[in-house]
Amino acid sequence: MPTKSIGEEFVKGLWDENPIFRQLLGLCPTLAVTNAVINGFAMGMATSFVLILSSLMVSSIKKLIPTQVRIASYIVIIATFVTVADRFMAAFFPPISKSLGPYVPLIVVNCIILGRQEAFSSKNTVGRSLIDALGMSSGFVLALLILSSIREILGAGTFFGYQVMGPWFKPWIIMILPPGAFITLGILIAIALQIERKTKSRG
Amino acid sequence: MNLSTRMVVVLTSIGLLSASFLAAVGLLTKERIALNKQREIDEAIIQVVPGTRSSQKLYEEKDLSVYGGKDEEGALIGFAIHASGVGFQDKITFMLGTNISLTRISSLTILDQKETPGLGAKITDRESFLLYWENKDCSSTISLRKPAVSSPDELSPTEINTITGATISSEAVLNTVNSSLEQVRRLIKEGKLISEEQDAD
Repeated sequence: MPTKSIGEEFVKGLWDENPIFRQLLGLCPTLAVTNAVINGFAMGMATSFVLILSSLMVSSIKKLIPTQVRIASYIVIIATFVTVADRFMAAFFPPISKSLGPYVPLIVVNCIILGRQEAFSSKNTVGRSLIDALGMSSGFVLALLILSSIREILGAGTFFGYQVMGPWFKPWIIMILPPGAFITLGILIAIALQIERKTKSRG
Repeated sequence: MNLSTRMVVVLTSIGLLSASFLAAVGLLTKERIALNKQREIDEAIIQVVPGTRSSQKLYEEKDLSVYGGKDEEGALIGFAIHASGVGFQDKITFMLGTNISLTRISSLTILDQKETPGLGAKITDRESFLLYWENKDCSSTISLRKPAVSSPDELSPTEINTITGATISSEAVLNTVNSSLEQVRRLIKEGKLISEEQDAD
């Protein structure tokens, strides 16, 4: 594996290996909860919390876990942090916890988290794993924010719950429904690929 | 240590550690989560039975609880019916405020729902749905006005408005309201809606 500087390790999660636009991982919650910016943001934060703590945990005990049971161990670790996040939100942010509904417990099966443990934390030092998790989390939050902003503005005429469109604007209800998620994500991925192709051909 | 023992030991200890950790987190947050739920109910009672200073649970069963709203002197001024019924996606839970004789709905508020965002989820929206529930005559069965009208004045006192594009959700709320009113009427008739104080007398 070519060694990367700490900075590169972080930045790769934002663009080159952005979990949503480039790796296409964790798309289920991405499509489901991005109907409002607040939900997308909360989901991003909860996932980040789980990813960062799981990466720290996995990278620090990686030597103790026999390869045969590593996936099971990772899942137990991830599920523990997900439950903590779920209870914490129910206790301190009840409205958000309500609007995310079943998607918080479903972070357990979010491929980004298990994917990072398998691809990175199980092979790298604690420090690098932390940087990687921070980068991936930021990339995930960023992608959710972009997606949910587009959907909320076009689908409800609001941003973070505040009216941003004038009274002339007729909300495109489809944007906050599941088809809107697929359409928006598809267009965003196309744009990301296009940018990538342009920069590659230039470089 | 051979491999299979090591696998068992590692998995068991990870499981035990996370279980004890979760037990601690559960204990720490349990009270607060219960408190949040209770606070939500209390706020909803005050909202649907105007003038409530204190409230008391009068009856409870699965999917239906009845609270009594009381004024400063402790006199009963209305009922708050906390009920759940099947919606389009999942259960819809609401709090319905009525007067003591169960002939007038003061207002309705939705506590829990998982309806389609942008369509059925509008049942939580005051302008598109809840406004049309205020001050309704519920001495007879309430019906749904379809197609929807744009102002509460256009409805008869026993009619409520439909959300355009979300008839099923509107109907689901209406049906649960009608059936729970029916049930509460029966409870009163059978004398089962007795507050604890009166019980002690």
